[in-house]
Amino acid sequence: MKNGSNLKLFLLPAVLFVILLFLPAFIPRFYVYILAVIFVTALLAMSLNMVVGHGGLFQFHHGVFYGVGAYAFALMITKAGLPMWFCFIVSPLIAAIVGLLIGWFCVRLTSLYFGMLQISLGSLIWAIAFRWYSLTSGDDGIHGIPVPDFISSTSSAYYFILIFFILCLICMYLIYRSPFGSTLEAIRDNPERCQAVGINVRLHQLMGIVIATFFAGVAGVLFVVLEGSVFPDMLFWVFSLEIFIMCLLGGWFSFAGPILGAAIIVSLRTFVGAYTEYWTLILGIILILLIFFLPEGVWGYILDKFGSRAKGTVEGGSK
Amino acid sequence: MFDMAALGSQFFVGLSRAMILFIVCSGLSFVLGVLRVPNIAHGSLYMIGAFAAYSITKWVAGPAGFWLALILAPFVVALVSLVAERALFCHLYQREHLMLLLFTFALSLILGDLVKIVWGAEYKSIMAPELFNGSIGILGASIPRYNFFLLIVGPVVGVALWLFANKTKLGKIARAAAVDREIVGAVGINVSWVFAFAFVLGCFLAGLGGALVAPTVSITLGMDHNLIIEAFLIVTIGGLGNMWGAMVGSLIFGLTQAFGVLFWPQFAIVFPYTAVVIILIWRPQGMLKSVW
Amino acid sequence: MLTVEGIHKSFDDFKAVKGANLTVEQGELVAVIGPNGAGKTTLFNLITGQLRPDRGRVVFHDDDISQLPPYQICRRGIARSFQIANIFPRLTVFRNVQVSVLSQQGKSWMLFRPAQKLAVDETNSILESVGLLDKAGNAAGALAHGDQRALEIAIALGNEPELLILDEPTAGMSAEETTATMELIRRLADSRGLTILFCEHDMEVVFSVAQSIMVMHQGLTIIQGRPDEVRNSREVQECYLGGAEPC
Repeated sequence: MKNGSNLKLFLLPAVLFVILLFLPAFIPRFYVYILAVIFVTALLAMSLNMVVGHGGLFQFHHGVFYGVGAYAFALMITKAGLPMWFCFIVSPLIAAIVGLLIGWFCVRLTSLYFGMLQISLGSLIWAIAFRWYSLTSGDDGIHGIPVPDFISSTSSAYYFILIFFILCLICMYLIYRSPFGSTLEAIRDNPERCQAVGINVRLHQLMGIVIATFFAGVAGVLFVVLEGSVFPDMLFWVFSLEIFIMCLLGGWFSFAGPILGAAIIVSLRTFVGAYTEYWTLILGIILILLIFFLPEGVWGYILDKFGSRAKGTVEGGSK
Repeated sequence: MFDMAALGSQFFVGLSRAMILFIVCSGLSFVLGVLRVPNIAHGSLYMIGAFAAYSITKWVAGPAGFWLALILAPFVVALVSLVAERALFCHLYQREHLMLLLFTFALSLILGDLVKIVWGAEYKSIMAPELFNGSIGILGASIPRYNFFLLIVGPVVGVALWLFANKTKLGKIARAAAVDREIVGAVGINVSWVFAFAFVLGCFLAGLGGALVAPTVSITLGMDHNLIIEAFLIVTIGGLGNMWGAMVGSLIFGLTQAFGVLFWPQFAIVFPYTAVVIILIWRPQGMLKSVW
Repeated sequence: MLTVEGIHKSFDDFKAVKGANLTVEQGELVAVIGPNGAGKTTLFNLITGQLRPDRGRVVFHDDDISQLPPYQICRRGIARSFQIANIFPRLTVFRNVQVSVLSQQGKSWMLFRPAQKLAVDETNSILESVGLLDKAGNAAGALAHGDQRALEIAIALGNEPELLILDEPTAGMSAEETTATMELIRRLADSRGLTILFCEHDMEVVFSVAQSIMVMHQGLTIIQGRPDEVRNSREVQECYLGGAEPC
């Protein structure tokens, strides 16, 4: 949420957008693919940050909603043979409904226990997907999902994903600036006071969760468009915490921080993963370094060093 | 459809599984109570306990190896947790709780891969000593001897913990720190050491659970994740930080799962989850009072 | 307008409030006084819903509000400020107040309009009336103590309440700040037609401003009446001069 003229605000993203538009013509297909993965992951991380950085909730199993969106899309296309546009719209809705159900249980607990419970409840969905072999092919995942021709090549998938990524980002930005977004931030800072000024805190938090999980579902659908497959790992809670790390790494009090975090982690995972099978170990070390040296994330660190934050935000963490 | 004997056996199987869960979850609850942080690494430490027990039985053969494993493995785990705690964790005590939790997550990631590095990815297994071969009949149902052994160990550990928490000075200090760490600090007690102790004790119990469960399951790399999911649920429905709550939660979980296996083997997991969901609708804060 | 009847609240074995009564008439300035630990803040928490009474009722405009959650009580027209500054430290002063104004206007659910264009006039007018307009862009957490107390009141005003409850509004203030704050409160009561209920343990402040005073001691209501009645009451004098036994 930066101050400053509108022009300055949109200049950098606009330039980036133009660059991204023309990039596929100049770089190898593999890098186009990686960029597309970054967009999908960044969307997912942004949707998580809606709840965590903006809303102050400890959403530790956000990946479930991503996975539900992806599986719903995959299953509706492969098993039910429904038209793609229908699946595309309905899958995120299903993710949002699951988000509402799980969220309803979790908002009744405070802070860390919200997250703890969510890990457990979400894992039920993972367990079901894992074991219901006849439906989901269990550990093998579902492959060869027929994606329409116009987005089946890497470049066309890239553009498709980029467009929806930008659309979702714009949506999120509008929501952040809206009264609802403002209320969510207030709830993050002081839920007790919000109650005292007439805000139904739980209902607002639930609404925030529903919106965020909807976007996570969209990210899931985009993943299927890119890969043509789904895997139960998407529903596994270690992946969810990886997304959480992305938000942390990028800087969770800023709008675009999670995008940066996603880009870094995906790049690291791709290139480091080529040399070693112990990516999890490295992720753990990154997290520890983050905790000790960069708690405000890369973006927070940059803002600290090179400029003041427009809102005059105070150092320190949430309650 | 089911005869009483099968039902009865399954009941005791569930009960003994609940004892393992209780031992592990009481450790988790203890850490939760004193440090107010759910220890995500708890599952990894449980797993290390199992793998360490395996290694010890490979090193010392026969029944002696088994008993040695049972005693030593928890201490190995305690040592690992102590190192992690003194080197890194303790510097975070002043920070907000989210950072503590994220540290335990990082620890679980690191420990998980360390186990892979040290022991490799294949399944391991150990056999209980001959002493435990065969079954005992109780009330018409037959229960493997080792499970019966677990039925004894569980309550023994529970009572020992209770005595420790309520009758020893250290235990009382830990309980006081759970409720108000500032006052404990204000009377001159080094809160950091209290936390260290609580963390290590909790991890010791995780390791003990891992060593105890080792003869009954295949020792694999996914143990940590499976356990932590169940443990979080148990601790939540039992009441955060409450040791008896951990017992109640473990019983519910263990028994519903055991019966679930009888009725719907492929999706036995649904039964404990359903019980959890019902409990959480009815009492979101857990069945027993949380510790603070 | 507001009556509290025989209200009780215990925490485990500690009886914080054991039979308090209070009457607030429309348009009055009512004060609750009593030494520290008398139960004044607990009483206020019981009225505004942060706590539920074990026994007794709170009645507002003939409705029993004893069991309602805080946000519903607020919507009925009761707003409150807190003894320890309970603001939104990371938001600007402007947004601190805007949050409650937006809530009052039912706009907290709006998703696609920019918040900074909404409720600007109302928010600014409230900020002006408490003297914080020039600091609207500052981070609330960085304000001086006195300003934070003013912000406390401003946030409560955002709800356009009928009844404004202030928990020790002059806590920690110097003599001049206290007078200024009480002046502000009196001015707000007049200009906005508010009924005000506040608690204090600074006697001078209370006697100069309040029209009705309720005296609390160890969780009980000793007496409620006009200032001169209370000042001359023997029970009050005994309570404050006598031993630790409840009267």
